[in-house]
Amino acid sequence: MNEQSNIAASTREPVAFNAALAEPFNVLIVGVGGQGVIMVSKVLASLAQAHGFEVKQSEVHGMAKRGGTVFSHVRFGPKVWSPTIAKGEADVLIALEWAEGLRWLPHLRRDTGVFICDTKRIVPPFACRSRRPGAPMRYSTETAEQVSAYVSEAYAIDATRMAEELGNDRAANVVLLGALSTVLEFSLPEWERTVTSFVPKKTIAVNTAAFELGRNWIAEAKTAPPSDMPARSAPTQTNYTPRLEITDAWCKSCEICVKLCPEHCLELDADRIAKLVAPEKCTGCRLCEWLCPDFAIRVHLDAEQPALEAAR
Amino acid sequence: MFREAPHFDVRDYLRKEMMPHFLCPGCGHGMALRALLWALHELKIDRDKLAVVSGIGCAGRLSAYIDANTFHTTHGRPLAYATGLALARPDLHVVVITGDGDCLAIGGNHLIHACRRNLKLTCLMLNNEIYGMTGGQVSPTTSETRLTTTTPHGNTEPNFDACALAIAAGAGFVGREVTRHVPKMKELIKHGLQHPGFAFIEVLSDCTEVYGRKNDMGSSSEMVMRQKSEMRPSAYRDSVDEPFRSTDLPTGVLARNARPEYGAALRAAAAARAAK
Repeated sequence: MNEQSNIAASTREPVAFNAALAEPFNVLIVGVGGQGVIMVSKVLASLAQAHGFEVKQSEVHGMAKRGGTVFSHVRFGPKVWSPTIAKGEADVLIALEWAEGLRWLPHLRRDTGVFICDTKRIVPPFACRSRRPGAPMRYSTETAEQVSAYVSEAYAIDATRMAEELGNDRAANVVLLGALSTVLEFSLPEWERTVTSFVPKKTIAVNTAAFELGRNWIAEAKTAPPSDMPARSAPTQTNYTPRLEITDAWCKSCEICVKLCPEHCLELDADRIAKLVAPEKCTGCRLCEWLCPDFAIRVHLDAEQPALEAAR
Repeated sequence: MFREAPHFDVRDYLRKEMMPHFLCPGCGHGMALRALLWALHELKIDRDKLAVVSGIGCAGRLSAYIDANTFHTTHGRPLAYATGLALARPDLHVVVITGDGDCLAIGGNHLIHACRRNLKLTCLMLNNEIYGMTGGQVSPTTSETRLTTTTPHGNTEPNFDACALAIAAGAGFVGREVTRHVPKMKELIKHGLQHPGFAFIEVLSDCTEVYGRKNDMGSSSEMVMRQKSEMRPSAYRDSVDEPFRSTDLPTGVLARNARPEYGAALRAAAAARAAK
């Protein structure tokens, strides 16, 4: 592992701190709450500070429990005035989640910016337009190729899977730190020392391995053609057709299902037995099944066969 | 990718020859029964290792519909029967289904002593605030001012908070949920079933035909909807919207304490005596 990383270190072409850093160097780190955005920015900030730079870091946090969007601006240089990075001025954009990365792309320098993005996809609840299971989601459909055409240097790295293979998916942010280390002029021992000082003691081994993995991955991506990049599109969807099985003999016409169906797709028929009158509106949410005190309703979600085969 | 796991089918756990059940249209007890069976299904409890004991009343009848070892006992005494059963057969999961009158009035004495002993049992009390089966008499949990056949001018007795009673008596696990939230009820019952001690779970159920009709509470669906406005998750007990919530009804896990379990203590004492 060590040998490999040395090779990587010798062949990499680090982004020089622009003109001995007359201007501050801007790194924008974005992701979803709980992924470790703040940890990445802390590592970077403390590294830059140890290097004698003035560092300003500003972040939005507290979203960890909510799965909300989290970003952290890290600026370092001989003198830093503004704590935030203006649009189009980030030298490096590190994204821990695919859609968050795309959301912040306008902040990246178009000509020289480096975009490092985890292909991990976390679909936010409000991107789900329907309660129907497997319904289309309003999630970005851009592929890695399309994005790499927009920026000068882009890496779509499957960091979460790499970390999972190491045994701890929470180390995905350190995989990205490893990737980041290839574009900044800090020495490898400095990086490793800082990373180990920030991770919990029990996870030092896995995080060191994750760091190496990310670092080597970028080195390989630089030599290999970009077709190597994982080009995953939006999460695969399977369509389901909800079907209600109503046991007529058990129904007592209490109308709970009729009145409480969020889509108003049930009605009592002439015999006052619950019937699904608008099957096209049914989302299969199972509320009627759960609330039926007489166990008369059973919701089946039949997978549409072609979609299921396509998903396989 | 969304993957559809085979969803729990309650009918697998019912004695189908007994269906449809005898409960009135819109009765909340059916939803509570579903939650119990769902919890048992998710915990993969072997039905041969499950004993359901119930007393008398609408809730007491539920055991008859469960396809497992069931025991329909005398009024107010399901906890006493279950105590004997759980002591003799510690390998069984003993679940008691009881109602508010069964558990708090006739069986109130058994409840406090079951809480005090902390024997491993799960007690599911379905509280519909009334004696529904016998014609709608006032029960220990009937809210004040409510009309029943024995309080034709409105109930003037203060009512019990069953969970507070169980906590005070020392129950190991106390929780409360409304029937409207079936999956949450299932989760609560699962916690109760896994608790190594006496678990008391109060389920607030609706009596639509007797209580609801007499008190003009609307149709069964309106009663289910009312549960939402009258409940408050325990997590929000001290929240800023407190003044805007009129009724004080915290739900969820209300108490959990690790007192020694009675059955294990008794067996240990017996073993120590035998070793002498």
